[in-house]
Amino acid sequence: MNIIAIMMFLGFVLVTLGVTFWAARRTRTTKDFYAAGGRITGFQNGLAIAGDFMSAATFLGVTGLIFSHGFDGLIYVIGGVAGWPIVLFLLAERLKNLGKYTFSDAVSLRLQATPLRCLAATGSLVAVVLYLIGQMVGAGKLIEVLFHVDYEVAVCTIGALMVLYVSFGGMIATTWVQIIKASLLLAGGSLLAFLVYARLGFSFDTILRTAMSHHTFGDAMLAPGHLISDPLSVISLATTLVFGTAGLPHILMRFFTVRDAVEARRSVFFAASFIGYFYILIFILGFGAVALVTAETGYFDPATKLLVGGGNMAAIHLSHAVGGNVFLGFISAVCFATILAVVSGLTLSGASAISHDLYANVIRPQASEHDVVRVSKFSALVLGAIAVALGLVFENQNVAYMVMLAFTIGASVNFPLLFLAMYWKDLTTRGALIGGYLGLATAVGGIVFGPTVWVEVLGHATPLFPHKYPGIFALVIAFGGSIAGSLLDRSARAARERAGFRDQFIRSQTGVGSEAASVH
Amino acid sequence: MKHIYQKIKEDPRFRELESKRRNFTWLMVGIMLANDFWYICATAFYPEHGYARFWGTPIGEGYATTWGIVIGFLQTILFIVLVGVYIYRANNEFDTLKDAIVADARRAAGEKP
Repeated sequence: MNIIAIMMFLGFVLVTLGVTFWAARRTRTTKDFYAAGGRITGFQNGLAIAGDFMSAATFLGVTGLIFSHGFDGLIYVIGGVAGWPIVLFLLAERLKNLGKYTFSDAVSLRLQATPLRCLAATGSLVAVVLYLIGQMVGAGKLIEVLFHVDYEVAVCTIGALMVLYVSFGGMIATTWVQIIKASLLLAGGSLLAFLVYARLGFSFDTILRTAMSHHTFGDAMLAPGHLISDPLSVISLATTLVFGTAGLPHILMRFFTVRDAVEARRSVFFAASFIGYFYILIFILGFGAVALVTAETGYFDPATKLLVGGGNMAAIHLSHAVGGNVFLGFISAVCFATILAVVSGLTLSGASAISHDLYANVIRPQASEHDVVRVSKFSALVLGAIAVALGLVFENQNVAYMVMLAFTIGASVNFPLLFLAMYWKDLTTRGALIGGYLGLATAVGGIVFGPTVWVEVLGHATPLFPHKYPGIFALVIAFGGSIAGSLLDRSARAARERAGFRDQFIRSQTGVGSEAASVH
Repeated sequence: MKHIYQKIKEDPRFRELESKRRNFTWLMVGIMLANDFWYICATAFYPEHGYARFWGTPIGEGYATTWGIVIGFLQTILFIVLVGVYIYRANNEFDTLKDAIVADARRAAGEKP
């Protein structure tokens, strides 16, 4: 039992609950609840986006990948940063000009709202739930190892806290929880990297040299080819990372919390800078862990010779190696705060998909603002329960892989839909639906029938779908289906939808019309 | 709103803005994806293909750091620089032009600019 970790963690929970209480008093309208009233600045939003993106899965998972596979962990580092220029160049500004609370707003502007909102909400919810499972499992495992409480207790605690933040504080609380956590994580990561540097004579080269002398790969640790051997998988993984970022609903939602397109751009700049800095830190930490943790037999299980707590714990052991129990407690608390903040952002985005996209726009368009917010609070509760239940079921799944699956859905459903709706004048409702559902089916099918689920989880001998990363296939099918479906659509509705592109395009370029967005 | 859109559509400066921004956006996307995929492919097809051999070689005599690491680090920096360049041009050149077009269109449509 690490007292410092518990104290720090309780401190974080108290502060964030205070923020939630403060935010709840400031949350009066629907716009406050979903988009923090549009009053978040570019800098704050950048920090919050970085917070959403820098999950514990990244911090622990990617450090762990470098720890075990050396150079190839860089694919995740580069892929993680590479998504941001794409978000800026293609989406951020137009999204802000076209949408209101969720990315479905932008998609359904000139197309048939009801079926497209159903598709976009499905894409959002599948991505959110997969992402939630990854975070819940990671959190449960971490708490089990660090605080020695039961996995079930840990998962339920997180579930309860995230529902509190989201349902009482809405987007204002969720954003501030994210900002606090991002600052803590950046500070904690920097301090850890500094201590690693200090231990190894302030030389990156010495870190690498020491790492190579300890790693089982030896000199080859700094050459590629250990993590994934088949090139198609690497390319599929890279595609998924780049375009998946642009399709994560909880990230896209953040662009509606700022005032205008200028602030939306600034958000991306700050987000990309923080994320880039953080990933460079992770790179140092990964090799630092090889250099400083591998040599200490105390961090390995004497019987199995494996790292105590699994490969994801390399960063945690590293913090103990350079800073003792006090620092270990600090980093553990930071990781827990990270998970809590990320699951809150995800829950809010899932609750918005249900309440804003499905309830307010499809099921009961005449619903009052008050009703819609009440439905989102209830959705947050249901999503919390689902996340806890799935967290318990998937206890032994690989965390980084679950998060990858969420990116796969983002890249193969949400991104093609949003991109074509904004950039291609010939997209019609029929085409969007065909492409969207084909992409979703390919992604889900590829995941379920692929090597990880079909063989490792379900115990079949050979996978029906041979590739571990179905992202590139689903992406191509989604684009192909949408384009073919639209070109073959000769209905009168399709002609109207094509004609509507011009006005939508002018609005997306100039922002004229977007400020007039009405309340429900 | 329709008549403002109509005015904007008729403004030749809007066509200019549109084509400038489109060319710039796709240029940036191209640079970005080319860099990312070049790096990932060099990693993916290593070591069968000779051109990526230097990925695993040290940057100099007596160094442990390899070229692959240095280039990976520079890629990360490059992505952030690209973001910065895009925002600089969008905030200055494009937004100035856009604001002028919108103000004129509002005035022509009889609205307060």
